[in-house]
Amino acid sequence: MLVGYGRGVASGDDAADAALLADLRGVLGDRARDNDFERGLYSRDGSIEGSPPAIVCLPESAAEVAQIVRVCRRHSRPFLARGSGTGLAGGAVPVGRPVVIATAKMDRIIEVDIDNRVAWVEPGVLNLDLSRALTPQGFHFAPDPSSQQVCSIGGNIANNSGGPHCLAYGVTTAHIAALEVVLPSGDTTILGGVEAEPAGFDLRGLFVGSEGTMGIATKAAVRLTPNAPAVRTLLLDFDDVSEGSAAVSAIIAAGLVPSALEMMDQRAIEIVEAFAHAGYPTGAAAVLLVELDGLPGGVEAGVEIVRDVAHKHHVGNVRVAADDEERALLWKGRKNAFGAVARIKPDYYLHDTVVPRSKLTEVLEKVYRIADAYGLIAVNVFHAGDGNLHPILAFDRREPGVDERVKAAGRDIVAASIEAGGVLSGEHGIGLEKRDYMGMLFSAHDMYTQDVVRETFDPDGLANPLKIIPTGSRCSDSFHQHVPEGAWV
Amino acid sequence: MSPVGEPLSTASTFPLQLDIDSDTLASCVACGMCLPHCPTYRVTGEESASPRGRIAMMRDAAERGEADAAFVEFMDACIQCRGCETACPAGVHYGHMMEATREALASQTNYQPRLRRLAYRALGMPRLLGFGSRLLGLSQRLGLVRLLSLLGRVRPFRQLGAMTASLPRVPVRQAPLTASGDDVWLFTGCVMDAWMRDTHRAVQAVIEATGAGVALPPAGAACCGSLHLHAGLASDTRRLAQKVMAALPGEAPILIDSAGCGATMKEYGHLLGTEEARQFAGRVQDVHEWLAARVDDLPEGAGSRAQRPRIAVQDPCHLRHVQQAHLPVRTVLSRFFDVVELDDDGLCCGAGGAYSQQHPEVAGAVRERKVAAIERTGASVIASANPGCTLHLQAAGLDVRYPLEIVAEHLDGGAPA
Repeated sequence: MLVGYGRGVASGDDAADAALLADLRGVLGDRARDNDFERGLYSRDGSIEGSPPAIVCLPESAAEVAQIVRVCRRHSRPFLARGSGTGLAGGAVPVGRPVVIATAKMDRIIEVDIDNRVAWVEPGVLNLDLSRALTPQGFHFAPDPSSQQVCSIGGNIANNSGGPHCLAYGVTTAHIAALEVVLPSGDTTILGGVEAEPAGFDLRGLFVGSEGTMGIATKAAVRLTPNAPAVRTLLLDFDDVSEGSAAVSAIIAAGLVPSALEMMDQRAIEIVEAFAHAGYPTGAAAVLLVELDGLPGGVEAGVEIVRDVAHKHHVGNVRVAADDEERALLWKGRKNAFGAVARIKPDYYLHDTVVPRSKLTEVLEKVYRIADAYGLIAVNVFHAGDGNLHPILAFDRREPGVDERVKAAGRDIVAASIEAGGVLSGEHGIGLEKRDYMGMLFSAHDMYTQDVVRETFDPDGLANPLKIIPTGSRCSDSFHQHVPEGAWV
Repeated sequence: MSPVGEPLSTASTFPLQLDIDSDTLASCVACGMCLPHCPTYRVTGEESASPRGRIAMMRDAAERGEADAAFVEFMDACIQCRGCETACPAGVHYGHMMEATREALASQTNYQPRLRRLAYRALGMPRLLGFGSRLLGLSQRLGLVRLLSLLGRVRPFRQLGAMTASLPRVPVRQAPLTASGDDVWLFTGCVMDAWMRDTHRAVQAVIEATGAGVALPPAGAACCGSLHLHAGLASDTRRLAQKVMAALPGEAPILIDSAGCGATMKEYGHLLGTEEARQFAGRVQDVHEWLAARVDDLPEGAGSRAQRPRIAVQDPCHLRHVQQAHLPVRTVLSRFFDVVELDDDGLCCGAGGAYSQQHPEVAGAVRERKVAAIERTGASVIASANPGCTLHLQAAGLDVRYPLEIVAEHLDGGAPA
């Protein structure tokens, strides 16, 4: 038996590329591109490494996506979908000269169905554009990754993305009712449904978060969440990181589920303030950004509870945003934190692990120790409420040998998180980045089972190969797929 | 962490030396936050039309020391609105990188053909520009321009035809402006003075309504060099900057009523790198910045806000993203009007100086988004503080005017709509 994924990895044969291009041009005309500069642009996402695809396709409809997939099958060429290219785990990084199918041109909101509280949208619709378009009707799309202004719904589906407000509202899978999907076979099907309880297995649930290994979503029915009548945002500052993280657990223990509960450490506060000028206290060791929403009375009562808990944990100041403008400014800082790291170093490597809330302090201390040991700078800004850590390692790739140190530190951070009872990824996906760490969490049998599920969708292994599941996870693996050297850190 | 895979091929390339240091090129972490704020990415959905993509290509070209025709096309497609700079969490100086890239292309390749260079040069020659403008205005009235645009249906004249057809109606005769004192300079510029002198007249009236006297520059201060800079002809800009600086001596503030000119003149320090240029740049203000500090010297507006006429504000990119001087426009307008905001985060309208003439298709698609945003406000009058945006949006059938023209009319007792 062959390992499904990666079997179609092409060798870089010019004649094969030319024949493939001719067929794709037949479908897309000049929207199939092979210019060197342009292929270079689609060689990476928001993560730190990449390799150029053979051809970039820019489809404008689901029918074109299906045709592209059929052409790829005919040429035994792997393919992968790409949204806005902001992923941090390399899920949209081409490996093995695949065809990149960029869905950015498919950006129509097809129908807003208030009665069923869903909207049918194309995958290239940007997350924040969708929420803004729904504002006049009083609704929004709840998952709100930090890259909300630029990330696409298709990317959110692929990664089962989270965001600060997923603490109360749940991650992407809770907000996708149905999907139109082009399967790796080239056939189009609908998974799930807008009715309350669609019949059969929840294949929609399986597809969300599958990172393009089970096909390409070409349309989604997203659930609409009503905008809360009252919102309050608090900024709490602490002289001590451990007091801050203890306050996180205490707020939840007090019976509150804030809509968002975020933490930033001192370095994060400094870089964010330099960009947003939101009045973040640059001297504090840590801040918590707490948001409560709901009916006005409940929200005000919640504010008092947070205030009490914070004082028990020796909070410095409790700042309650006076109006929407102040709230927006505080969030602007938080949501731009990753990019703002460039103010310290030109490159960053961002991890995404989840640990039990009660272990936050312990794991954070380990993160700092690990970064110190490798001579790197660690910046922490993360979803504290659900224990989703985002340690950022800031570095300059032009320093000799720094990549090995970043790689080693990353691995140690993942190990420390798992040791504390955590998991590999909260919301960024596994992609290429954490593929080789899967064995730290899953047994060979677990991975084998996952691979079988994947193969059910993609028997020829052409859909985003070499991602998520490490090679050699099948016991009867007789096909040793060569992973290009340095394909990932 | 070098990229894996094969090196990019080098077919049909030419040598190109990009004078951008590696720290600057490395300052973009490719987070993508700029993408939705880039008008050309918005209408194409293509990486090559995004700031992140263009910086990656500059890095690529700088490392390789070469480029190809596609590279030139991608760089030329940028409107240079610099909306990406406002959005960038890392504070990347995209505008300077694009200017340096265009300068390299213009000086090392035939990126700016001879005829176009001559056309740019004419902007700094007020007599020639005035004569040409009168000729154009006359031709428009005699129907000759229609003939030219008909001629544009024949392939070799297509671009000329499209250009002449999209030009606004140019005045044949304009009354001169008269200086009234020496408290401030009012910079009058090139095309704007030749085609839109009435805007200057209105601006002068509003400045004078605060009690200040206005000095007018001699012919030497004819053109700020902004269009040249965007075209990669920075040496022309530096030459023009020297002339402008010499023509506007003293300490008095230099007030600008064109956002594009103001943005460039505020960067004279960066461009020339001299103390004199830095001091000069420090005197440059958008006229709204100057007025906002003296808004109490203007007559009171009548009635409550709700009773006042509604005006939608369209921010020129070079006012909002480059000068960050868009709020003073609101300070001045809201003394008299009910100011309505657009909901598009200050996305470019597609005008971009000469861009809308050179890339009419993209500029038109970008403008469609802007028109939709304006329509969502329900306002029938739109204020825009840059002549290029005004002309570009007027061509879509909107009632767009310079903010101070609306104010001047109001002070005169006229209604804005």
